[in-house]
Amino acid sequence: MLPKVGIVGIGHSKFGKRSDATIRELAHEAAWPALEDAGITIGDVDASVVGIASEEFAMQAAPAAIVHDYVGMGNKPTYRVEAACATGSAAIRTAWALINSKLHDMVLVIGAESMTRVSSARATEFMARSGDTRWEYPLGATFPAYYALMATAHMNEFGTTREQLSMVSVKNHKYGAMNPNAHLQKEISLEEAVKSAIISYPLNLYDCCAISDGAAAVVMASEEKAKRITDTPVWINGLGAASDSMLIAERSTLTGLAGTKVAAKRAYEMAGVRPDNVDVAEVHDCFTIAEIMAYEDLGFCEKGKGGKFVEEGQSYIGGKVPVNIDGGLKSKGHPLGATGVSMAVELVRQLRGEAGNRQVSGAEIGLSHNVGETGQFVFVHIYSR
Amino acid sequence: MKFGYGPWLPETELVSKFAKAVGDNRLMATKCKKCQQMYLPPRAHCKCSSTELEWFDAPKRGKIRTYTVVSAATESMSKYAPYTVGIVDFERGMSLMGQLIGVTRSMLKVGLSVRLVARKLDTDRIIYEFRPL
Repeated sequence: MLPKVGIVGIGHSKFGKRSDATIRELAHEAAWPALEDAGITIGDVDASVVGIASEEFAMQAAPAAIVHDYVGMGNKPTYRVEAACATGSAAIRTAWALINSKLHDMVLVIGAESMTRVSSARATEFMARSGDTRWEYPLGATFPAYYALMATAHMNEFGTTREQLSMVSVKNHKYGAMNPNAHLQKEISLEEAVKSAIISYPLNLYDCCAISDGAAAVVMASEEKAKRITDTPVWINGLGAASDSMLIAERSTLTGLAGTKVAAKRAYEMAGVRPDNVDVAEVHDCFTIAEIMAYEDLGFCEKGKGGKFVEEGQSYIGGKVPVNIDGGLKSKGHPLGATGVSMAVELVRQLRGEAGNRQVSGAEIGLSHNVGETGQFVFVHIYSR
Repeated sequence: MKFGYGPWLPETELVSKFAKAVGDNRLMATKCKKCQQMYLPPRAHCKCSSTELEWFDAPKRGKIRTYTVVSAATESMSKYAPYTVGIVDFERGMSLMGQLIGVTRSMLKVGLSVRLVARKLDTDRIIYEFRPL
């Protein structure tokens, strides 16, 4: 069994339309509180791993260097990691490997993205180009369209309803309203969610995550180092990663993500836990249908019962597995590179018992699920106290 | 011949050949001579590592597996919105994404039979679309 790697410090910027900052300031806003939270100085860190998904959004080639320098890492090494919307989790996995290879003992992981400086149509364009630019993007496929194709398939096969999709959104907004770092801090009604403007039928505005600016950071350390630094480390006990075909037409099923199942199986096995041991989960709700499919593919409920799962309140605090109780991508926001790191920050808060009015009482096992593109990148991490 | 609504990636010989065939009302795919794996859209290399692939005519009729109506398009596609995108399953296990035309909302359903048709976007640019039988 490999040695454990711990998270010893967390930091999180305000997510939202941040016209006051670009990626460097956003990164700083997350990185320094993470160092402070760990009770260390930047000199104690051996390297940085920077997750930024898009140079087009960053308006900067090789953006890791800017962030690394701006937060004051000086001559220490930095690594840029990119895995589309799963960039942040890929950065955490990379730092885990760097630490367990003994190349570095303590690593600062920063995920950041600045997305709101371009119009929605242009942002849609940038993101569409992460689909196959030869065979799908030239047909007019957008990211909402990809997930809408899955939503139609899921609704057709399992009878998942319009209301059930919106229930995911209502839940995530309820918890996002309680999260001071969330982009859209407001509750919404089911009626509002059901009746919002169509983006890509059957998905409407309230089925889609927010386009946001923001950053999140964690300090990760080897088991030995983590124990010396803090009495409350949160351990990464299991990791799983997987991929899928570029062309979604090539996939045998569109009612779930095969990569999620593969990555989850690996992470559960490595951590020695089962889906029903998970006390709190952060899943990739880029679209409401994605959260419903995640319930199923992660084993929180049977295939096809994801709609029912949210309808019965099983993903609320008090249900079987509270999911996205920081607001999720939907309400908290989805600055691509920051998202996976933000998931880790929330789970560390939960497992330390520091989540305030959103605390899942007695949470011991947390799971994060982060998806890039339409499943070409999937990372599942399992955390424990 | 160039392929697609949104010009972005440079054309290759393979894409030009595929696009030209669409203009001739043919749907061309490739097949590995070694392991018989079929590729639609076509590939120059088989996933078994063979580079010995041959072109063949794929079936042009299939059934809609799933669909969406895109209202919020990308910047470059805004002038076409709203438009319908679907995935069509053909015989022999092949599937293709594409826009659906000539369908009203009430006709649109999973399982609808469609055929592939060519649409010339410009003198040197072409796209395929799916139309109900």
